[in-house]
Amino acid sequence: MQLRRCRRNAIVVLASKGFAFALSVLLVASWHSRACRADELQQAAERYRPYMVEQIDQSLAGARALRERLTAKDLDGAKREWIAARTGWERAEVFTAGFVPDLDGEIDAWPNAVMGFHAIEANLFGRAPGDAGERTDALIFHLADLDVKVHLMTLTPQGLLNGTARLAYEIGESKSDGGESRLSGTSLDDMRNNIDGIALAYQVIFAPAVEAQDPQLSQAAETKIMQLKELVSVDDLRKLDPDKLRKTSEELIVALQNCAPKIGLRAPTLEEISQ
Amino acid sequence: MRRRGEFGCAVAACVLALCLPTPAGAFPISGDQTVLPAGSELNEDALLVPREVFKSEVQGGAKSYLVKLGDMAFSDPGILGDVARRAGVSCATCHMNGASNPKLYIPGGSSKPGTFDTTGALFNPKADNHVLDPVRIPSLRGARYLAPYGHDGRVASLRDFVRNVIVREFAGPEPSPEVLDAIVTYIQDIDFLPNPKLGPGGRLSAQASDAERRGEALFARPFPHDPSLSCAGCHPPSAGFLDHQVHDIGSGGLFRTPTLRNANFNAPYFHDGRYDTYVEALDHFDRVFGLGLAIDERHDLIAYLNAVGDGLRPYERDNSVARLREIDEFASVLTDAIPGHDRDVVALAVDTVGGELRELIERIPDIKDTAVTEGRDERRLARSALKDVVLSLRRIDLAAGSGNFDDAAAAYENVRKLMAAAIPAVLAKAEPWSLFNPAVHDVHFAALRQLLKLTDNLQAKAATKLP
Repeated sequence: MQLRRCRRNAIVVLASKGFAFALSVLLVASWHSRACRADELQQAAERYRPYMVEQIDQSLAGARALRERLTAKDLDGAKREWIAARTGWERAEVFTAGFVPDLDGEIDAWPNAVMGFHAIEANLFGRAPGDAGERTDALIFHLADLDVKVHLMTLTPQGLLNGTARLAYEIGESKSDGGESRLSGTSLDDMRNNIDGIALAYQVIFAPAVEAQDPQLSQAAETKIMQLKELVSVDDLRKLDPDKLRKTSEELIVALQNCAPKIGLRAPTLEEISQ
Repeated sequence: MRRRGEFGCAVAACVLALCLPTPAGAFPISGDQTVLPAGSELNEDALLVPREVFKSEVQGGAKSYLVKLGDMAFSDPGILGDVARRAGVSCATCHMNGASNPKLYIPGGSSKPGTFDTTGALFNPKADNHVLDPVRIPSLRGARYLAPYGHDGRVASLRDFVRNVIVREFAGPEPSPEVLDAIVTYIQDIDFLPNPKLGPGGRLSAQASDAERRGEALFARPFPHDPSLSCAGCHPPSAGFLDHQVHDIGSGGLFRTPTLRNANFNAPYFHDGRYDTYVEALDHFDRVFGLGLAIDERHDLIAYLNAVGDGLRPYERDNSVARLREIDEFASVLTDAIPGHDRDVVALAVDTVGGELRELIERIPDIKDTAVTEGRDERRLARSALKDVVLSLRRIDLAAGSGNFDDAAAAYENVRKLMAAAIPAVLAKAEPWSLFNPAVHDVHFAALRQLLKLTDNLQAKAATKLP
């Protein structure tokens, strides 16, 4: 009896040692898997950086062209360049609010028309008093600053996911008052470029990882992005369907929230809050 | 409280401009493309909203499910059809908190603020009579006592009238019987503001002044040229100051007698809103009916009308607590709708409550609003928490839409928890830096006004300083 009990205890000890070992292996594997995923995501974020650089380069080049048109006293040309400079900027909004909030305020403050794109918009498309040239100089200064920072800033997949979701929420905001760029009548362009920025960020940074973990989830996010693109493919802001836009933007965020834990991230926050 | 009233006439004008056949390009809000009537101001009164009193609560009870559902549907642009939905116009746009909206102005559909042409082409081309004949936007306070309905009193039933507004005037989809019942129940629950100057039988109470009492006597005095008529004949004090009849009072046809209760807050007056004051309305009667009123008598009658038309605390401050209370009430219909597997009501609640939450979020300036410099963390936290609720609501809709009501219930539980504790706490902290604070409100809207009034393409070249 004594011997049997000892043997049984020995088996239990051996079994528990085996279990502990297996558990350790699983934990290590899980940790290793998470670490690999995190590493892959970080690499994906770095793959996104050239696009960020390209977007800011494009916006900066547009702002410089705008300045040239102003110097040439070519108002129509200046308006065209202002609109062109917005393209890169609106795509870059995936990361600007979260990674460079102060510069974001300098470049794209709203509604106060004292600085940034919208101050110049009021000069060019409205009849705002003020020096469009001086304001464009300031815009170029800030965009150039961002152009440097965008090469150097530490990118985090979580921050980029937050920015992607935040921008998706903004797309669902009411544009019934004419939207952000109401003076130039280009709010619809803003939205299209925002969605292009979202699509690019999702596809470059997150889609491969989500696809590997849960193809259905990835498909759900891609579908919502496509639906958003279709919704803004109207020729006039007045033809937007605000309810569908809002619903689809929120469904995209829900899809991103569902994706997040699959790739080792937290559900995205829709405001940049100090952790 | 309702968003579409937030900007008063300006927002109504703006949103509707989206539906009008204006040229594409810059948004037509000012300058040569102005859609605002002369003298309009942007959001001047947004901090004060009409106070809404409910019979069910006055009697010590609580609003029923139907009242809450009706109140919510009343705030949902979707029930009024596609044009209204795109423009963000709901019943509550015209009838803010069940009162009138004297600032509402619709370009091409209003002759002056507080009026709207219900037989124009804007919302329903089939209803267009090709005449610009706007009518005054009425208050719905005490509507259950005010039959028949319509300025010409053509509809006996409030239910029929509400349906007619939705389906005929706005070309909205046929409302479900439940939603129609709910809207009618909600309207019937809107009470008059209490008026301590009125006693039993509509007589003046003890606190009335001598002038008001003299006015009361004049009100009942027969007209000199036709003793069968008097003011009180059509506006009997003992019957809520209306006789439920239509009359020709020389204003261009037969029109229903309006009540005088709470009328101090219902300007403009007459069916087409032609008069802005009691003085002007009294001038009309004096002229048409040859009343021959002496100056003192006019003063006394006006004093009486002001006493009868008064109401306690007609306006209240808009703030996050009031907004949350309303949102919470709207959301509470989900308590019944989810277990009842009522997908339509779930979808309606998600859309309406989500929309109201988004409106509330806009009252907390984004960090990009550099006109507001303080409270950045507080604003971010509040905005973030409110957005979480918006997304939880969307999860409810997604789950219910796919028939998964257990998941919908779980997401709703999350909404209830957030609304009970976290949301009030973060909103209270953000409120000093929100648009509910008059100082922040003024700074924000000063910036917006400056931006908007600067739009004028024709003058752009002259005013823009090019180097």
